[in-house]
Amino acid sequence: MNAFFRKNLLSAATLIVILIFFIAAAQGMNSQDFVITFLRGLSVGAVTFLVASGFSLIFGLLDVLNLAHGTLFMIGAYIGWTVFVRPDTFADLLTPFALILSGFALRDMYPLLSARVRLGLRMRRILPWALIIVSVLLLGLILPRYPIAGWNLDNYAESPVTYSFMASQGTPLPPPTATFDQISPALAIGGLLLASLFGSFGLFLFDQSVQRSPRLSWRSYAGFVVLLLVGLIAFIFNSALTAFLLGLNANWLFFIAVIVATLSGAGLGALMEATLIRPLYSRPIYQLMLTIGLSAIGVQIVQAVWGRPEFVMPKPTLFNGSGASCPATSFSSWWQGNCSTILLLGGRVRTYNEIFIPLIGLLVLVAVWILLQRTRLGMIIRAGVQDREMVEALGINVRRVFTMVFALGVGLATLGGALAAPSMGLSNAMGESFLLNALIALAIGGLTSYPGAALGSLLVGLIQQFIIKYGQIGISIPFTSIVLKPTPPIVPASTVLLMVIILLIMPNGLLGKKE
Amino acid sequence: MQTILDVQGIHTFIGQYHILQGVDVRVPAGSITALLGRNGAGKTTTLKSILGLTPPRQGKVIFNGREVQGMRSFDIAAMGIGFVPEHRAIFRDLSVEENLKLAERAKDDYARKRDFIFDLFPDLKRLIALPGTSLSGGQQQMLAIARSLVADNSLLLIDEPSEGLAPVIIEHMMSAIRQLSTQSTIVLVEQNFLVASKLAEYYIIIEEGRSVQSGMMKDLVNDKAAIHRFLGAA
Amino acid sequence: MQKKAFSFFHNNRASLIVLFALVLLPFIVGLFEGASPIVVWENQGGISKFVEGLGIEIFILALYALSYDLIFGVTGLLSFGHAMFFAVGAYLTGIALKSFALSLPAVIGLVFLAAILQALLFGLVLPRVKGITFALVTLGMASMFHIIVTSSELGNYTGADVGLQGVMVPSFINPANERLRFYFVALVVLILIYLLYQRFVNSPTGRVCVAIRENEGRAKMLGYNTFAFKLAALMLSSFAAALAGVLHALYQPIVSPNVADLSFTVTALLIVLIGGVGTLSGALIGAFVYRLLDFGLRRYIGENASFITGTIYVAFVLFIPYGMVGTWRLKSFRVAQGWRRLLAAFKT
Repeated sequence: MNAFFRKNLLSAATLIVILIFFIAAAQGMNSQDFVITFLRGLSVGAVTFLVASGFSLIFGLLDVLNLAHGTLFMIGAYIGWTVFVRPDTFADLLTPFALILSGFALRDMYPLLSARVRLGLRMRRILPWALIIVSVLLLGLILPRYPIAGWNLDNYAESPVTYSFMASQGTPLPPPTATFDQISPALAIGGLLLASLFGSFGLFLFDQSVQRSPRLSWRSYAGFVVLLLVGLIAFIFNSALTAFLLGLNANWLFFIAVIVATLSGAGLGALMEATLIRPLYSRPIYQLMLTIGLSAIGVQIVQAVWGRPEFVMPKPTLFNGSGASCPATSFSSWWQGNCSTILLLGGRVRTYNEIFIPLIGLLVLVAVWILLQRTRLGMIIRAGVQDREMVEALGINVRRVFTMVFALGVGLATLGGALAAPSMGLSNAMGESFLLNALIALAIGGLTSYPGAALGSLLVGLIQQFIIKYGQIGISIPFTSIVLKPTPPIVPASTVLLMVIILLIMPNGLLGKKE
Repeated sequence: MQTILDVQGIHTFIGQYHILQGVDVRVPAGSITALLGRNGAGKTTTLKSILGLTPPRQGKVIFNGREVQGMRSFDIAAMGIGFVPEHRAIFRDLSVEENLKLAERAKDDYARKRDFIFDLFPDLKRLIALPGTSLSGGQQQMLAIARSLVADNSLLLIDEPSEGLAPVIIEHMMSAIRQLSTQSTIVLVEQNFLVASKLAEYYIIIEEGRSVQSGMMKDLVNDKAAIHRFLGAA
Repeated sequence: MQKKAFSFFHNNRASLIVLFALVLLPFIVGLFEGASPIVVWENQGGISKFVEGLGIEIFILALYALSYDLIFGVTGLLSFGHAMFFAVGAYLTGIALKSFALSLPAVIGLVFLAAILQALLFGLVLPRVKGITFALVTLGMASMFHIIVTSSELGNYTGADVGLQGVMVPSFINPANERLRFYFVALVVLILIYLLYQRFVNSPTGRVCVAIRENEGRAKMLGYNTFAFKLAALMLSSFAAALAGVLHALYQPIVSPNVADLSFTVTALLIVLIGGVGTLSGALIGAFVYRLLDFGLRRYIGENASFITGTIYVAFVLFIPYGMVGTWRLKSFRVAQGWRRLLAAFKT
């Protein structure tokens, strides 16, 4: 025990210094300000943690600095918004997405297939290109004709901003309907499936590192069959599904939105790793360029699909009440009125932003912790962070684990995005600022340490919120009558400064391990 | 005698460095074969090339009658090769038991083998809950070997088992390896010629990335000139 | 003696042709719009002036990317704070000229000192942090600088969010009236720094820097004080970047705080990656490609340009795996072989 303390003296000392600052900061404000600021800090910290933990898992195991992580976080927010505000669009999108993804679920079969295909060297070069071009052409032909009821960016009355606003007023706009345009449904479905198979096989052929076929089992087909079924069922029962989703209680819909955002993030992550990141493990520095490029693409897609103006996703009804019993004075009265605010120690605290988000953050923290500590996958991840080669030498398929971890990391980010959408709003710039926040948090806590990500995020959230609050109320310098008001630039400056100082004292962060 | 591992003229590059320039290794099933040579001759790289960790660009690696060069290393390892690397590579964030469990290839591997492993290394049994960091060098070496035994491996590649260990522990390690050789074939990289000569039946000398001489260990022991020339030891 | 001179020309054929073309470029463009070289000489030609301007921007960007390649590509230090090197040069020049009315040589002297100082600042942390941590620390330092120049307290000097404007540029190099001269000055500065860097990389000191990139532990074991070499590279890099900043402040009507931003460091990183890491000429070619791409896409596609740029980056990574120059060097042997075969086919 003694040795443990001596070893971690520096971290402990730093934590104590931070704690002293924290207490000093708490002394300077009255209790209601303190409660609000503290909980806001927790809220920002929780969202930062969701971004940072995924980033750190990916960096730790794969050594990939995923600079697109912030953009993926943002995409998560927009996906969550779409499912929540426009469930009909979601129902329409389900079929094409499931079909397009289905081909990639067959990737275990492709080595076998490519071994069967006997072609000349020249044809081997051309084949992947031909497949991908055919696939893109098919998609380009079918998707514009496929019925997806969306919104109209050019017309304010039908823009996401309006849909969002009306939904938050409790009078959602009636969704438009869409029909197949000059294409028969069967042709469209078949074409999408074909495009998916061609595209995924073509992309697979580019990856020349895979030469031998692994064993095939029913699992190799399961993903494909499931996706295909989901796509077809969603297609056949489209109108029923839409009606069901539209009639659903907003709480359940919100729950579904968050789940969908998380899962699609995971799918996107898996796809990204398997197709784009994987060829780059041998030249890591180019991963930076790739993720920067992907990030730019992602931002542009978001701008093109959801538009530039900012809007806020409505809150689920559980946290949106404003009846006579609000603001709630206790949790039971909150439960009765579903109040959007609650009185804690005299401060009016928003239940969604400052209670719900930190709780979810805590839940995810524990869940991922259990995953890391108690499951075989977690064991492989913890081992792989230290020594990938040895894990491979034990006969463990590290590549599959890489894909899973990338999926998990991106899934956490999109989960964070969907959760943050009702509290922080959706904007094209939200990704960048949270990536920076997450990077700072990780640098403070330790880049590849999971508890470090949590601690760092917490510190970043708290420090920022306390400084913002002090910017409003001012700091009275002891023994003088001067009231110092930190200006807005101090908010980013403070965390950046803390990061630099901590890195200089402890290059591996507060909880990071020495290499 | 049957050949379990046959490495034919492999060339391996690390970055732009041509590390292996034609190494042949033939390992008869059930034997202990030692790879000998000076520091930096390419012994460790040979082991890693067999496993595909540093994939050879040329040449063949035939394990159990199947060409494995170019396969992904976890697929090669899963065919039944256990690896005990230099510096042991114990996972620090995992407990001793987790280190062993990680090596499972079938669900009950650890449960099946634990008695055998703890018979071989009784010390490990009481360390089971400790994190990998808190082990001494000898204990780490035992764990590293034990880890390669959890799955059913017909070939063990052991890199420098005696490095940095006290003589008593080396003795213990040697007896363990000898015991293991009754069920698996072992390829050993060993700097300490005394240890290697006591353990191995066959030897292969690697010099500047090439295999230059091979044969029975008992012949080499008497060939003082060769020992001096290739190994620099008397 | 004569033979030696000849072989110099022969060996540097391509570079000399490019240089020659760059010198003639404004005049040739002038001819296309019907302006005689004399008109161009007197800075009267419209399009040629515009092309000169684009050229100047590319030279500045190339100089900046070159300086990044020295620490990142050659020495292997991943810095996320390189924009600060540039921005310090730019802001210092602007402020010294505008608020303190210093003469240009004095400004350059000042920038030189500042360059050494900031290299020392980065160097200070070198012994403690490595790899990605160094990148984060430098990111932190550069962000602090960015926050300082955008803060309203210093608005009188830096222009805060808007940027520094109204810098009085000495008339003999004023980009409005003497753009051709500016063009040649920028070109000469770029060439001088390029030659200096070339010399450095091929010198024993430079080789140690490359060795540090390849394997720092080994370089240390050989008895080199790697810290000193890294510091030397940092200083050289900082100086060139600051000089690029000086030119930027002189050329642009506004020094925007964006040049201190992380995204400007990312620009340097992208340029170096496009050109080829560690190949100095790659930085020059990369800057050319990057600026033209940026310019062309913004002009012809407009708002959605960054979608295309993003796609191009991704395509670059996948299909030009080691940057333009790097991939060229890898493949040139095969290409040369192909040429020879083609020529042989024609002969028979």
